[in-house]
Amino acid sequence: MNQPVAHPNRTLGVVELRIPSKAEWVAVARLAVAAVANRLNFSIEDIEDVKLAVAEACTNCIQHAHGSDQIEITCETEPDALTVRVRDYGQGTRPETISSRRVDEPRVGGLGVFLIRSLMDSVEYDVHPDRGTNLVMTKKVTS
Amino acid sequence: MHQPHTEEERWDRHKTREAFARFAEVKKRGPQDAEYERLRSELVVAHLNLVRYLAVKFANRGESLDDLIQVGTVGLLKAIDRFDLERGVEFTTYATPTIVGEIKRYFRDKGWAVKVPRRLQELNLAVNRAIEKLSVKMGRSPTVAELAEHLNASEEDILEAQELGQAYNLLSLDTELSGEGDKKSQTLADYIGTTDAGLALLEDKANLERAFEVLTGRERVILYLRFYESVSQTEIAKRLNVSQMHVSRLQQKALEKLRHVLQE
Repeated sequence: MNQPVAHPNRTLGVVELRIPSKAEWVAVARLAVAAVANRLNFSIEDIEDVKLAVAEACTNCIQHAHGSDQIEITCETEPDALTVRVRDYGQGTRPETISSRRVDEPRVGGLGVFLIRSLMDSVEYDVHPDRGTNLVMTKKVTS
Repeated sequence: MHQPHTEEERWDRHKTREAFARFAEVKKRGPQDAEYERLRSELVVAHLNLVRYLAVKFANRGESLDDLIQVGTVGLLKAIDRFDLERGVEFTTYATPTIVGEIKRYFRDKGWAVKVPRRLQELNLAVNRAIEKLSVKMGRSPTVAELAEHLNASEEDILEAQELGQAYNLLSLDTELSGEGDKKSQTLADYIGTTDAGLALLEDKANLERAFEVLTGRERVILYLRFYESVSQTEIAKRLNVSQMHVSRLQQKALEKLRHVLQE
């Protein structure tokens, strides 16, 4: 499960961060990823989108990963793209429940993933009942 | 571990699908059908929480939540009109990118991507000044919390301004600011004033921007659609789900407010 997310030959740098699985630490992840994104040629709007996506992914982990007390955030930079992996080792949410939230009381988990999808260029979401959740998202630099 | 759907949840999804099925039926008869507006409003009301939920996520980018909800609702209307049950996806899955897209377009149209780096740079300078001032006053280096309080900003803003304030890439004058769809995109160079006429225009623009602050979110949306996007009153009425007469009244009221402010 530890293989690099992006193509190794193109990866410029890897930044890893581990935060406690608590809401007050999410801002640290946001800031760190923003700083990484800023090393690439992203526009301010894209950086804001990446920050929001990371916050959603972390919140998702905090709300659904009972039993996991850490969240791992890995950023891999390529010349024209940033890939962020957010994972925990908790029990996770079953995939079949993700797309079926009721609307009048949105649960962050399900809608969060849709929101991330509309902010990033690609999102892969892997939920394993025992190994936790693993969300990998990529945003390309548009110029 | 795995939470099963509650009865209520299942019923709710069922209800949404049913409402869309009825809406599709009525739509075939044309928008004149009385039932059409009623069902459409019902669907809008049922999903306003989705719009709100998404709008809140963008509320820290310096625009009022009400305005974001307004434009998000425009996205919701588009999604409702375009949604096709036969695609086999949940409406929320389908509507989320449309609503987010509309919210993001609003930021782009406001030239937000230009203003924010400047704001961060200004905050960066202000932070540096505040550090000096507070250090002298307190005889020690201030904390981030103290700086945040002094500058009336959040701690995250302070840290971000320090980290990113000076680093944001300088943009080329020919960088396209909005390159979406068929709309001709503008470049930074388009925002540069020339001689007297340009300066006067800039001043007008600044005055107008200030004057706009007296308007309510809805009034802004109407003026924006009417005068920037050249949308007809009838079309605006449809989008906001109010009568054309009402749009006309709101527009008039908004223009009067603007005139009043600009005369002062």
